[in-house]
Amino acid sequence: MHIPDGILPATVCAAGYAAAAPVTWYSVRRINQRENPRADIPKASLLTAAFFVVSWIHIPLPPTSVHLVLNGLLGVVLGYFAFPAILIGLFFQAVMFQHGGLTTLGVNAIIMGLPALVSYYIFRMRNILEKKSQLITGVFGFVAGFAAIGISVALFLVILLTNIPAELDVATERTAIYTLALAHLPLMVIEGVFTGLVAVFLQRVRPQLLDSI
Amino acid sequence: MKLEQDKYASLDSPLHRWEPRCKFVGLVALIFAFSFVRELSMLPAMMTVTAAIYAISRLPVSFWLTRLRYPSFFLLVVVLLLPFLSGQTVILSLGPLGLRQEGLISVMLITVRFLCILTVGLVLFGTAPFLTTIKAMRALGLPGILTDMALLAFRYLNELGDDLHRMETSMRLRGFRQHRLSRRGLGVLAWLGGSILVRSYERSEWVYRAMIVRGYGNAPPPRDEFQVSAGDVVALVVTFLVAIGFVAGDILI
Repeated sequence: MHIPDGILPATVCAAGYAAAAPVTWYSVRRINQRENPRADIPKASLLTAAFFVVSWIHIPLPPTSVHLVLNGLLGVVLGYFAFPAILIGLFFQAVMFQHGGLTTLGVNAIIMGLPALVSYYIFRMRNILEKKSQLITGVFGFVAGFAAIGISVALFLVILLTNIPAELDVATERTAIYTLALAHLPLMVIEGVFTGLVAVFLQRVRPQLLDSI
Repeated sequence: MKLEQDKYASLDSPLHRWEPRCKFVGLVALIFAFSFVRELSMLPAMMTVTAAIYAISRLPVSFWLTRLRYPSFFLLVVVLLLPFLSGQTVILSLGPLGLRQEGLISVMLITVRFLCILTVGLVLFGTAPFLTTIKAMRALGLPGILTDMALLAFRYLNELGDDLHRMETSMRLRGFRQHRLSRRGLGVLAWLGGSILVRSYERSEWVYRAMIVRGYGNAPPPRDEFQVSAGDVVALVVTFLVAIGFVAGDILI
């Protein structure tokens, strides 16, 4: 779900960077407002690397297998560090695996990073409740994971299909967006369930991880 | 999964010797100029410049071919679909499908732009150690939080990858096989992912203490890490002129 180099017009790539810059600035500003921002950097960095590694886990979905995007889980665990973490993760993927692209880094960061921040806000609503049972954590984790990938898919399809150099008529374009979005529904459910299960696991094993950053 | 980013970073070529900040600015300008190109007539020049840069870098062709493996699937989808979906001018009918001229032109533009940007990107990040390029980005003004995070994350990617590999091997030795999606199987994989997160979190506490002991946050980073020579500046100006030439050429043609 990463847009590679060469597909989008240069103006859209520039707009992607222009949109990603203020979100990065806002995230960095919120991080710097913390009591000891430097203390959180190693945690956020190693967790960024860990997310990168966890996304290599194959989830069987016959006849093939899928890799999870995990931007919802990133938002749940990393909070405002999620956007810089995704920016770095996408940069690594573009440089090391030629997955995504350098000119489309800003666009891809918006596609993956904004939903991660939405997930953070969704999961933070859990704090309103006094009792944080495993079921509640699992449900909030599911919604956060499902919503993140859902928004990412929608952004990806809209940006790709409205900018691809094809003179598709409006009806065809809309049908393509709906069909492809529907095709991603199983992935959204898997991401939601996986995020919920990891959130429950972390609550049982290391609850600080859900509240520390 | 082993990362082989720095495999050819120690070769000797003019691009390996180019000062990292100048190289970063020059080649990124060229990459964005390539993304600007919309005219078919500019493509041979783009391919020639790209091939020349790759040849000067002395990176092996096999390196380029292996790096094409991941993105080639997406490219294949574009090449197969776009000529039949895009445009009005049908130049060849294949049953119910029509091969369209505008779609073919789009495919050529996308493919060449993609390959040229990918190749210049490979030269940019393959002709210097990855950490040196990140330091150059920091020297060019990238926020400290981003560079610190990138350096630390890169440092621990291989180790965490090895952790995952060991844990997956242990699971297989204990009989875990998953050929179809099941709730239990997904739960086990979620625990595997969660364990990696917990391990990295615990390790980060040790890392932070080690960094504090070594003065993290107290001393400013050295400012004269890179030395620019006249040759570096000349190479930067030439690359800039080539990049401007592509943008101007595309507008004027």
